Amino acid sequence: MGAVIRLPRTWFEPDPVDEWGRDARLIELLTPAARLRWDVSVGGVNHLPKRGGALLVTNSRRFSLSAIYAAWALSDALGRPVRFGGRPDIAPIGPLMQRLGGLLNKPEEIRSALRDGELVVVSTRGTRNPRHAGPVDPGLIATAVVTGTPVFPVASMSSPMGRAARVEVGPQIRPQRKRRGSLAELELAEIAQRHIQRLLDGLGGMHTGVTPVDWLAEG
Amino acid sequence: MRGQRVLVSGMGGELGSLVASLLEAEPWVGSILGIDIDPPRRRLHRSEFHLIDPRDRPRIVDLVARFDPHVLVHLAVWEPDARAGTNLAKRLTCDSATSIISAAAECPSLQAIVVRSGIEIYGRGRGALTRPDEDAPTHPTSEYGRMVAAIETTAHSVGSRVGVAVSALRLAPVLGPHVPSPLGRALRQPVVPFSMMADSAFAVTIDSDAARAFVAAAEQRPQGPLNVVAPGAITTLQAIWRGRRLPLPLFGPEWRFARHVSHVLGAPLPEHVMELIHRGRLADGSRLTSTLGIKPQVTTQQAIDRLFAWEAIVRIPSSQAA
Repeated sequence: MGAVIRLPRTWFEPDPVDEWGRDARLIELLTPAARLRWDVSVGGVNHLPKRGGALLVTNSRRFSLSAIYAAWALSDALGRPVRFGGRPDIAPIGPLMQRLGGLLNKPEEIRSALRDGELVVVSTRGTRNPRHAGPVDPGLIATAVVTGTPVFPVASMSSPMGRAARVEVGPQIRPQRKRRGSLAELELAEIAQRHIQRLLDGLGGMHTGVTPVDWLAEG
Repeated sequence: MRGQRVLVSGMGGELGSLVASLLEAEPWVGSILGIDIDPPRRRLHRSEFHLIDPRDRPRIVDLVARFDPHVLVHLAVWEPDARAGTNLAKRLTCDSATSIISAAAECPSLQAIVVRSGIEIYGRGRGALTRPDEDAPTHPTSEYGRMVAAIETTAHSVGSRVGVAVSALRLAPVLGPHVPSPLGRALRQPVVPFSMMADSAFAVTIDSDAARAFVAAAEQRPQGPLNVVAPGAITTLQAIWRGRRLPLPLFGPEWRFARHVSHVLGAPLPEHVMELIHRGRLADGSRLTSTLGIKPQVTTQQAIDRLFAWEAIVRIPSSQAA
């Protein structure tokens, strides 16, 4: 009976999702809409590996969706999928964010993606000030330590009023001393926070051209 | 390692018959004994088959003890609404696991147990990992998931008591030209419902890849679980479009009605298929390649394309049939 009703294939050419549920075609379709909200300039992508996994830690201002636009912009710049941690697990937002490359913010999930050779953006704890990097969760850093994946600091800055946004990737974070136990991730998390703060300081504040807006963006 | 005796439970099913036919071509296999409630689906040349009800424990114990297998490949698993309704499937699966694995444990030559399991064992509750690997905790959230979890528990407890290797192959939903699959049946309907709220991704595996995995596991006898998942993933809506079916978007309460209608039309949607449609079902299958050295040949998209290409009825002319 299935043969009786058959829609023409030309109506819709379905592109399958990848093994993590990311839908490249949907992202392509939504990119113009995302560009209406964020005009992201990206720097420092040369630090990132061409192949293999990496954990990218970015600062996060509350409700700024920094991990999402950073992953989006970096994916565009690198030409390979970049995923982000922190998708909720509630329909319909959760499945939609999964299609956009979202992962649950669980260490097991991030570790599995890193082991799979994926680039994953995770956020620091949210702050009210966009120029302050919050503390980094050592549990997420541990995923990189366990899988032997490099960690990169990413400074992201956007304005709640304007479109201008900036994503700056710093050089790989290396531990000062080799540790055998969980001290490795604790120290690496602290170093990551310091590196992100240094990158943010280097970026300066937002310059939208409207001073009150820039003040508001400062939180 | 020549002349090994292999016991295949569930040989009557499509997967069991396929595993038996592949085992017949293996040089390390000496003799093959099959048990099932149904006769095999294909012509087997070297295998010996016995039609036994899983509840007939004395007969199973007697037969298995006389055969004294080196390896047990336990495939006697009834997926709900595939060949039997949920309650019957649960009873048959439980009876088979108890009687066959227990009988094999009495055999002095037994070296390994390979059981069929499913990635439904990970469950899809809130906060469940998107793509669990074999180390992920198991929290089954469907009846089928609990059934395969019970099989693994039985096999592991027996295996640890008698000191044999136990491997569980956790299969993604199996599709094949003759495999009774509730997911396959649902997708082949002319009008297919999908969740408008959550069109999540899932992966499948094709029967031939699953059978190859069982043969490799029976030969190499790894310890622990292995996911058998085809590369790639697809969402329900994408699968519907690939098959050029009519998608029926559903939001919530009308699913109950849709399930009843689908059941009446001959494609029941059991709990684990509903879960797949709403929450997706992915798993990391990379350990299969690193452990057994085999890689699934057919991707999820290809399996879905084949699902829609398979003939519903293959007509064989009387002259050819004779």
